[in-house]
Amino acid sequence: MKRGRSITQTESSTYLNEALAIWVRDLRSEFRTRYAVNAIIMFAVTTLVAVSFSIGSFRIADDEKSFLYAVLLWIILVFSALSGLSRSFVKEQEAGTIDTLKLSARPQAVFLGKLFFNLTLLASLELIIVPVFVLLMRYPIAHPVPFVANVVIAGLGLGAGTTIVAAMIAQASTRGALFSALSFPLLLPLMIMAIKGCEQASVRLGPVGWAEVRMAFAYLVIMVIVSLFLFPLIWEE
Amino acid sequence: MIYKILLALWMALIIVASFFYSEAAGGFPGETSRILFFHVPQAWIATLSFLLSMIGSAIYLKKRTVDADHFALSAAELGFLFCVLATVTGSIFAKATWGSFWNWDPRETSIVILLMIYGAYFALRSALADPDKKRLFSAAYSILAFATVPFLVFVVPRITTSLHPEDTMNPASPGMDPRTLKVFLGSLLAYTTLFVWMLRLKIRLLRVEDKRDREDL
Repeated sequence: MKRGRSITQTESSTYLNEALAIWVRDLRSEFRTRYAVNAIIMFAVTTLVAVSFSIGSFRIADDEKSFLYAVLLWIILVFSALSGLSRSFVKEQEAGTIDTLKLSARPQAVFLGKLFFNLTLLASLELIIVPVFVLLMRYPIAHPVPFVANVVIAGLGLGAGTTIVAAMIAQASTRGALFSALSFPLLLPLMIMAIKGCEQASVRLGPVGWAEVRMAFAYLVIMVIVSLFLFPLIWEE
Repeated sequence: MIYKILLALWMALIIVASFFYSEAAGGFPGETSRILFFHVPQAWIATLSFLLSMIGSAIYLKKRTVDADHFALSAAELGFLFCVLATVTGSIFAKATWGSFWNWDPRETSIVILLMIYGAYFALRSALADPDKKRLFSAAYSILAFATVPFLVFVVPRITTSLHPEDTMNPASPGMDPRTLKVFLGSLLAYTTLFVWMLRLKIRLLRVEDKRDREDL
């Protein structure tokens, strides 16, 4: 029997190696249970079907589409993400593996591993939902490259803003509702930027949304740095 | 005791002066500009206490003293109170001048996000049973929320232009009437003193509650 990649701390193990090991381990356990990915994608598909069914692709005038569709797309993406991203830490708490994890890796590495895992979940969410949304709703996108850049970078920011909140609420009593309540105020600036960016990228005239990509990138960097500072304090409690 | 009596007299004086001494600023319907003497100090206190709460949280994370947490929690609770007051008075002013109680003006957006951050802070505190964990996590959340504030400052005004009065009502601009300025600064002083008094009272209350809980155990 081959052993999985070990996550024990040795002299030679770097933060990145440890983080990657945790990421691989989480992916493997997710492939076995498919809890988080099922929850997130089914939530997103349900919302998308509800939106598409009740609005259809002809009800909204073409010049209104770029803004309203950006809003709808980001409401679907943000709330689907909030429905499942807290699993990354809650499952450790529920399975009782949290203490072993604390012993076997350094806190920053745990944070990065969980962040990579959450970003993988978000990538699969966006990969499924965004194309289906564009096709179902007949979203006219004038500048596809900045549009995709906005979706990708804001998606990364979404993961960066919520991962540390997931670590906090894993130890609280009312987990599901609290995760959304704590994450939403932190994500609101990002959501406003993403909506603005997607709107601009879908309109033929005017700026195409690169400014919003840069802002979302700055948000991503700041949230990761602040989280790396705060996470060890929360984790070792 | 003497300070409280002086404060009460000073506040009474400011209330009278704000209606009878100063003149209503031009460009606003009727007497609506007098809201300046109440709304702006409230918003200032809400922002100040948010900052103080963040500083208290940072000190708690560094030193783990219960006093720092009491300071952060007291500032957050008072900040929430003044934030609600500023929102309500601002909304009434919006109805009187812009014609609707709420229209997602950038100022309205940022104050709602501030209210939501405070709300989330209290929700987090009430969801954690262990007192040490409660203090640590809420302090961490406070810092995290503060890190997103620069984005609000840069992002929100980019969306729509604000209708919020700036020039005629801003004490720093030369357009302000000297009488109005005097009453405004007096009101700012009264609100800040009231805030400091309430903050100290709240911290003492928390300390007593903390002591009682420890003796119960």
